[in-house]
Amino acid sequence: MAARKSRRKEAGDVEAVSELAWPPRGDLAVLNHDLRRVDGPAKISGRARYTHDVRLPGMVYARVLTCPIPRAEVTLDLEPARKIPGVEAVIALAEGGTKWLGQPLAAVAASTPEIAEDGIRAIRVKLEPKPWAVDRAQATAEDAPKVLKDGNLSKENTSGDETEARAALTSADQSVEATYTLPVQHHVCLETHGVVVDYRGGDEATVYCSTQGTFTVPESAARELGLKASQVTTIVEHMGGGFGSKFDLGTEGAAACRLAKALGKPVHLMFSRADEFGAAGNRSGSRQVLHGGASQDGRLVALVGDIEKLGGLQGGSFPGRGPYIYSVEKSFLRVRSVYTNTDVARAMRAPGHPQASFGMESLVDELAYAIGMDPLEFRKKNLKGPVYARQLDAVAREIGWAQHPNKVAPGALKDGMGVGIGFAVSTWGGGGGEGCEVDVRIDRDGGVTASVGTQDLGTGTRTYVAAIVAEELGLPIESVTARIGDSRLGRATPSGGSTTTASLAPAVKDAAYKARTLFAERLSRAMDVPAERLRFSSGRIADERDPKRALSWKQACGELGGDGLSARGTFQPGLSSNGVHGAQAAKVRVDTLTGRVQVLKMAAMQDCGLPLNRMAIRSQIQGGMVQALSYGLLEERVIDSVSGWALNANLEDYKVAHASEIPEMVALIDDEDTRPVIGFSEAAVIPGHGAIANAVYNACGARVRDLPLTPDKVLAALGRVG
Amino acid sequence: MSRPSEADGKNPSPLSRRNFLRGAGGVATGGVLAHGLLAASRANALRGAGEVEELSGEVALALDVNGQVLTVRVEPRTTLLDALRVRCSPPLTGTKLVCDRGQCGSCTVIVDGRPAYACMLLAVDLRGKKIRTIEGLGEPGALSPLQEAFWKHDASMCGFCTPGFVMAIQACLERNPRAGLDEIKEGCAGNTCRCGTQPQIFAAALEAAQASVKGGK
Repeated sequence: MAARKSRRKEAGDVEAVSELAWPPRGDLAVLNHDLRRVDGPAKISGRARYTHDVRLPGMVYARVLTCPIPRAEVTLDLEPARKIPGVEAVIALAEGGTKWLGQPLAAVAASTPEIAEDGIRAIRVKLEPKPWAVDRAQATAEDAPKVLKDGNLSKENTSGDETEARAALTSADQSVEATYTLPVQHHVCLETHGVVVDYRGGDEATVYCSTQGTFTVPESAARELGLKASQVTTIVEHMGGGFGSKFDLGTEGAAACRLAKALGKPVHLMFSRADEFGAAGNRSGSRQVLHGGASQDGRLVALVGDIEKLGGLQGGSFPGRGPYIYSVEKSFLRVRSVYTNTDVARAMRAPGHPQASFGMESLVDELAYAIGMDPLEFRKKNLKGPVYARQLDAVAREIGWAQHPNKVAPGALKDGMGVGIGFAVSTWGGGGGEGCEVDVRIDRDGGVTASVGTQDLGTGTRTYVAAIVAEELGLPIESVTARIGDSRLGRATPSGGSTTTASLAPAVKDAAYKARTLFAERLSRAMDVPAERLRFSSGRIADERDPKRALSWKQACGELGGDGLSARGTFQPGLSSNGVHGAQAAKVRVDTLTGRVQVLKMAAMQDCGLPLNRMAIRSQIQGGMVQALSYGLLEERVIDSVSGWALNANLEDYKVAHASEIPEMVALIDDEDTRPVIGFSEAAVIPGHGAIANAVYNACGARVRDLPLTPDKVLAALGRVG
Repeated sequence: MSRPSEADGKNPSPLSRRNFLRGAGGVATGGVLAHGLLAASRANALRGAGEVEELSGEVALALDVNGQVLTVRVEPRTTLLDALRVRCSPPLTGTKLVCDRGQCGSCTVIVDGRPAYACMLLAVDLRGKKIRTIEGLGEPGALSPLQEAFWKHDASMCGFCTPGFVMAIQACLERNPRAGLDEIKEGCAGNTCRCGTQPQIFAAALEAAQASVKGGK
């Protein structure tokens, strides 16, 4: 892939010694290898400092009180809390009419976490319940209370021609009409949302924040503190998971700022686990009535879909317009939102896509079996381009589809047990753009530092920042220090939509390239070799025509003045691309007597352009599969519509996948993709649960159209229970 | 729409730790009773061999953590987790608070050789016991063999669950240095990882177990 040469002459800049482009993959010494994370030892030894772990002199601990019912008229009496010795400040966050279950009502700051909790329990709360709607049934009932002023349904978005699509359905050889539903899922970041606000009066503050966007915080924190954004520093050394839910300051961060301002002391405020379930966002639920038609020779000829998004007080997510990934000759989709008195849905890893994927992949599977065609072949026939076909073939090989007996119908059971295989595919953008400023410094003592204010969500950002610079300068990764997570460093974009890598990696490359070019120019005089002939590799700088004319890295740096050398890089087009594909397969065993589904193996193939760190990429792919397995088999927010209570706002009753559920997993990187860097992480979470549901059908004939795929639903689908 | 009479807000958190402990008086048989739990737990405590002791307010406590005796001031209700993270000086924050209710394993420590959830133990019950936390295992530049295997296999992504997994598996391998996959899975069955690093964690744990087989331990 030829990268475009895009260079301007700047002060201190020199002419390029070679093209600004990623080297051929075979020439890479650091990138495209398995790299251990540079922050691994700190995390694995418990030394990494997260926002939760920040301890400052004079710091107080804050807790939040949340509303236990979906809608109420609220009156607070804060005085009993204020009387508790050790309670330092109590503030109201909402009074009067509340609108959603879990809405923060008040916050207490105290000298210890225990006393802050005492303060929360001491607040007298008068709740006058108002009629609410917490689920689709309540929100769409004839006498439903109005959740929003304009009612409980959004305007419809439509795409395609309904008349044509319905006509195509009528003339299809086979058709399937079914309703697919997906629950509201929680992010379950292990580090709950929160901040430590270090403000002791005066005109500067530091906000430690568990966030996906270092630079999304200063402006809103400054507003709460009465400061300018430039007076607020945000620190995100490490953060314990975000998955789309951690942008900006949030209610909790704003509350901490208010408490810090009132007290003139540092305030530590982290949501409790229960708060987190109610007030830190979720993946919107989905209900999809799909009617699809296929020709006997295996073409998808028609789709009519009626889709509802359940995003609480806001819209929720569903991707794009038209059928999800697959080509359908005639289609019509109607999409609308149903509002409820629950927390606003937030972006969650590939917003809308896992929902759309489950509906479409289930329907496609049902149509394949309806016409008696191998579901793998049916997929390949209806997907555009060669990439999906090769990826599906790869995961089919890995999962053992060729040897599998049930190709066109569910198989025979043995002792009540069935084994099945299912498939699904994914797509994502993952492109990048402007917005990152990276500084690379080379010091006279040989030290190399790459600095940018970006954040590492656990994806390995810090590691590839160091790796790109090491590659460019011909050094081992250990020789480069990556400094990130600090708003005093160069600006960086927030991590959403898998855009970080494709935005940041080019800027890092640009900075490293400029630093190398400048360095070569300086060494050219000292070594009496033209700059363009100097090669940086294996910790040496050598004349490519006469490799004996060389300096070690240390010697070379000794030629620098006391100021060393530094260069700033920005986004350069041509170093990243966009648009990824993935395919996944699942193999399951279903116990038809108990309905229990055990996933035996999952396999994925994913393209991602140039792989920066192969090991971290495989980890991301596996992590996507684990999350999809968890979503497909276990996860669901449950609210009792009558009492309005959250019934599983804890990690015992809201179950995520644990060791015993994790099968053998194989993550394959699609090395036939020769494009430059692309973000892909969201794609990995999209297809797994659909593949599992399809495998369950393939195993035993139980078509479960409602996630999570719990044993009762398997038994119901088999007609064993009513 | 019915109006729940319970929803008067007087008890916003019906399943508090205090209520739970009151209901499960058996935890108090160690001989130490927190003020306020006394009445509910007296019967159980008296059945135990130790004498009954009444504590209230902040008390000074000596804890044996990673082979060092640390003096901390705690309330009788202070959990071991809060004692480590908030009350120790310097604070030991490697042990993570995630659920605070014994549901996620992120605060796993080793007490007298057995894995335990630090959020479900009262600090005052830990007198005379040997507590090991992640800080006592290894450090950057001198990781333990298990930690080294975690690093090698990329068994830590966001990293927030990692100390809990390391300690749970460390306890498992101390019990059986040659543990196989099933035993390792059981050893960390109570630990939650949201990034989905479990496959790498299993690989790391198996490698550590294999190393001890080869080393003849």
